[in-house]
Amino acid sequence: MFTSQMESLATTTLADIDGNLLFDLSPLPLTVLTPACCIARVSDRFLHDWQVSRDQCVGRQLVNFLETYLHPAGSAAVVNLTSTIDDAILTKHASSWRARVLPIFKGAELIAMVLEWQEAPAAPGEGEIVRPGLSTDEAFRILVQAVKDYAIFLLDTKGRIATWNTGAELLKGYRREEIVGKHFSVFYGQDDLAIRKPELELEICLREGRVEDEGWRYKKDGSRFWANVIITAVYKDGVHVGFGKVTRDLTERKTAESRLIAAYEESEKLKSAFLANMSHEIRTPMHGMLSACTLLLDTELSTTQQDIVQVMDESGQVLLQVINDILDYSKLASGSFSITSDIIGITSIISSVVRSAQTTTRSGVHFELFLDPDLPKSVQGDPLRYRQILQNLVSNAAKFTEKGTIRVRASVEFENEESYSILTEVIDTGIGVPEPAAAGLFTPFTQFDATTTKRYKGTGLGLSIAKTLAELMGGKIGYQPNPERHGSIFWFSLRFNKIKNVEQIQDWKQVPGSRDGTASPELQAELAKVASTKSLLLAEDNKINQMVMLRILRSIGFKNFALAANGSEALNLVRAKPAAFDLVLMDINMPILDGYEATTKIRESGIRVPVVAMTAYALKGDKERCLENGMDDYIPKPVDIPYLIKILFKWLVNAKDYRMSAGEELSRLHNIRTQLQPTLETLKLPLPIPTSPPSQIFQLPRHQFTPRLYHLCYLQKYRRHPRWSRRRLYKPQQTQTRT
Amino acid sequence: MAYTYDRDDEDTLKMAAADFGDHVDTATFSQILEMDEDSHDFSMPLVLNFFEQAEETFEKMDLAVASKDLPELSRLGHFLKGSSATLGFTKIKDSCQIIQQYGSNLNVDGSAEPDEAVCLKKITAALEEVKVDMEALEKKMKKFFESD
Repeated sequence: MFTSQMESLATTTLADIDGNLLFDLSPLPLTVLTPACCIARVSDRFLHDWQVSRDQCVGRQLVNFLETYLHPAGSAAVVNLTSTIDDAILTKHASSWRARVLPIFKGAELIAMVLEWQEAPAAPGEGEIVRPGLSTDEAFRILVQAVKDYAIFLLDTKGRIATWNTGAELLKGYRREEIVGKHFSVFYGQDDLAIRKPELELEICLREGRVEDEGWRYKKDGSRFWANVIITAVYKDGVHVGFGKVTRDLTERKTAESRLIAAYEESEKLKSAFLANMSHEIRTPMHGMLSACTLLLDTELSTTQQDIVQVMDESGQVLLQVINDILDYSKLASGSFSITSDIIGITSIISSVVRSAQTTTRSGVHFELFLDPDLPKSVQGDPLRYRQILQNLVSNAAKFTEKGTIRVRASVEFENEESYSILTEVIDTGIGVPEPAAAGLFTPFTQFDATTTKRYKGTGLGLSIAKTLAELMGGKIGYQPNPERHGSIFWFSLRFNKIKNVEQIQDWKQVPGSRDGTASPELQAELAKVASTKSLLLAEDNKINQMVMLRILRSIGFKNFALAANGSEALNLVRAKPAAFDLVLMDINMPILDGYEATTKIRESGIRVPVVAMTAYALKGDKERCLENGMDDYIPKPVDIPYLIKILFKWLVNAKDYRMSAGEELSRLHNIRTQLQPTLETLKLPLPIPTSPPSQIFQLPRHQFTPRLYHLCYLQKYRRHPRWSRRRLYKPQQTQTRT
Repeated sequence: MAYTYDRDDEDTLKMAAADFGDHVDTATFSQILEMDEDSHDFSMPLVLNFFEQAEETFEKMDLAVASKDLPELSRLGHFLKGSSATLGFTKIKDSCQIIQQYGSNLNVDGSAEPDEAVCLKKITAALEEVKVDMEALEKKMKKFFESD
C-alpha cells in the first residue's frame, strides 16, 4: 500500500499540483471569504468538521451562515462580524470554534479573507455567565467592582490610583471620583512616609514582581486600620503598565492577636511569680521532712519500719530533686536565669563532680577521668553552670549504668587568640538510648519510655536544663551511641574566653567600679578608725617599696606592722602567730620563697588570714596563678593609694573577721557534734566535725558536709524552735534509754 | 583672697624646673612627695636609696650578662622594675621590663624568643640604655632636691 503511494507520488511532478486541490485537501478547516464576506470556498476538512455540505455554505453570507449554527440562536444584528469571529461560537454539535482571519491583499486591494477555524473545548459554565455581549473581561470587571471585603484597585506606573472598587470605597472611605488620579501614598501614615515606604514598595514590586506588607493604613476620616497589602506589577504585552493593589483589613485579627499575646505574657508572669514564691515555701519544709526522716532512720526501728522510712527518705530525696529541677527549668524558661562571667577551673570542677558522683554509684561501676594536658588551668566562664551541666550528665550516666565504666573526658577542641573551645564528654556503658528516642532526649518532660520512668525516677527535665544552659553559654550539647559497646556518649562543647591579664581577674573579684577615681573620704575615715587596732604583715623584698608601703600605711593610720623580706620569713611569721595578723600584703616575686608558695603554705597550715597580692605583673602565665594560689585579692604596682584604701577597707572593715567566723563555726560544730555523737556513731559516718584543738580548726573545709549531714545540721535550727522542741522530735538519748 | 604658696605648689614648680620629661611620671612621683612631712625628709632619702639600689643591681646584672644567666637577669629586671615603678621612674621601669622579658626568653610582646644569644643581645642593649637614663635621671633628681 505504502509503496504504491510512494510510487504514485513519485510520478506526480510539482507542476501537476493544483492550487485548488491543495486547498480542498488541506487538513485545516478553512473558509475563503470574498471582501463582501460571502463564502467563496471551503476545505473538505471544514465540511467534515462542521458537518455541512458545500451547497449549504458556499455562496452564502458568512453572518447568515453562522447565524443558523449559533446556539442559542441570536440576532445577527447584535453579533457584528468581529465579535462573531472572536468569540466562542457554538455549532449545533455543541463545540466551540475560534477563527483566525488572514486577509489576502493583491497590491492595495483586498481580494479575499481566509478563515482558519480552530476547535476549542467548551468552557463549562461559561455558557451561563459569558453570554453573548458579556465578555470575560467584563465579567471580571464586574466581579472586581462588586467585591466588598477587599479593596482592589489599579495604580498607574507612577503609583497614581486608576480604578476604584466598592471594597476600596467601603474600606478607605473615599469615593471613586475623589480618589482616582491621586497618589496611593495618601493611605500611609507619617512614619511610613518618612521612610519613603510607598516608593520603596513600588521599587521592590518592580524588582520582585510583587510585594506584601502589613501595617497601619489610614482612611479618609483619619482613622487607621491594620492592613495586609499585596501589590503586583501589571504588564501588558511585556510592557509595564501599572500595579494591582489588594488591601485587606486585618484590624480584628490584629486586636485578637495582641489580646492573646497579652494574655499569654500575663500568665507567664504569674507563673514565674508563683514559682518564685513557692520555691522557698516548698523547699523549706522538704528539708525539714528529710532531716526528720534521717533522724528517724537512726532510731531503733523494726525491719519493716526501717523499710518504710527508707522509702519515705528516698522518695523525699527524689521529690526534692524534682522540685529543684522544675524550679530551675521554669527559671530558664522565663529567662530569669543569668550566666555570670567568672574564673573557672575546668579540671577542678570535673574532678570534684566525679568525686561526688563516685560516692553514689553502684559497686560494679567505676569512673575514668581523661583530662587533656592542654586544658587551660583557668578560663573565663560561669563555673556554677558548667558544673550543673556536667553534674547532670554524670548523674544521668550513673543512674543508667549498672556495671562497667563511666568515662569523663575533657579536651580542647580548638583554640584561638581569644578563646578556647572545650569539649566535655561523658561516656557510659549503661542501658543506652533506643534510636527513636534519641531525637527527643533534650525535650522537656521527656523520658524515653514509660517503663524507664517507673524504674528510674526523675522529671525528665535534666537534659533539657543542660541543653538550655549550654545554649545560654553559646555552646552545644548532643548525644551519640557509644561506638565501643552498649551505652551512651553525652557531650557538650562550650567556648570560654581566655583570661587576658591579672587586672581582669581582679576586676571580677572586686566590687564593680572599685578601681576608679579616689576613695571617698568617708571610706578613709572609717578605715582610719580601725587602722590603729589592726596588725598587718608586709612581705616585700625591695627596700624602696617597703619604705613607700610603710609610709603609706602609716599615713592611713596603721601602727602595727611586721615586715618580711621574703616569702619564707612571711610564712614563719604567720605560722608562729596564726591569729595575730589581720591582713597580709604579699609581694609575688621574692627570693627563697615567692608569694605564691608562701600563700599556698599558709593555706595548707589552715590559716585563713586574708592575703592581698602586690605585684607589677608582666610575665604571661604568672597572671592567673595569683588567685589560684589562695590569695584573696590583688593590688597592682605601683600602688595607687586610693585603691589600696578600698582594698583594705574591704578586708578590714567590710569582711567578717576570719578568726571570728572560724571560732563561731567551731563552737557551732562542737555543739552539733555533742548532740549528734550517738547518731553519728550508730551510722558509722566519717566525722567531718573536728575533734582537733582550736588552732587547727581552720582546716575544716565547708564542702566536707555531706548532704546527709547537712540535713542533720539543718535540723539543729529547727530544734531550737519552740514548736519543734515541744514535740520532742529528736531525743536520741531518751529513745535509747527507753528501749 | 591671698594666694598661699604651699609646698605642693612649690614641688610642682620645682618639678617643672627640673625638666623631668619622660623620665618621671609626675603623678606617681607627686604621690611620693606628698608623703613628706617636713621638707623632703622622706622622699630624698628614698630616691638616694633608689640610686644605690640601682647601682648594686646594675653590677649584678653585668655579672649575670657575663655568665649568661638569663633567669637571674629576669629576676633582677623585675626587682628594679618594682622600685622604679613605685617612684614613677618611667624610663628605667621600661628598660627593666625589657630585661625581665628577655631574661625569661620572651619578646616584649610576650611571644617566645628561644634564641638565648638574641635575648642576651637585647638585654645588653637595654642595660646600656638604662645606665645612661639612670645617669640623666640622677642629675635631674639632684637638681630637684638641691633647690630645697
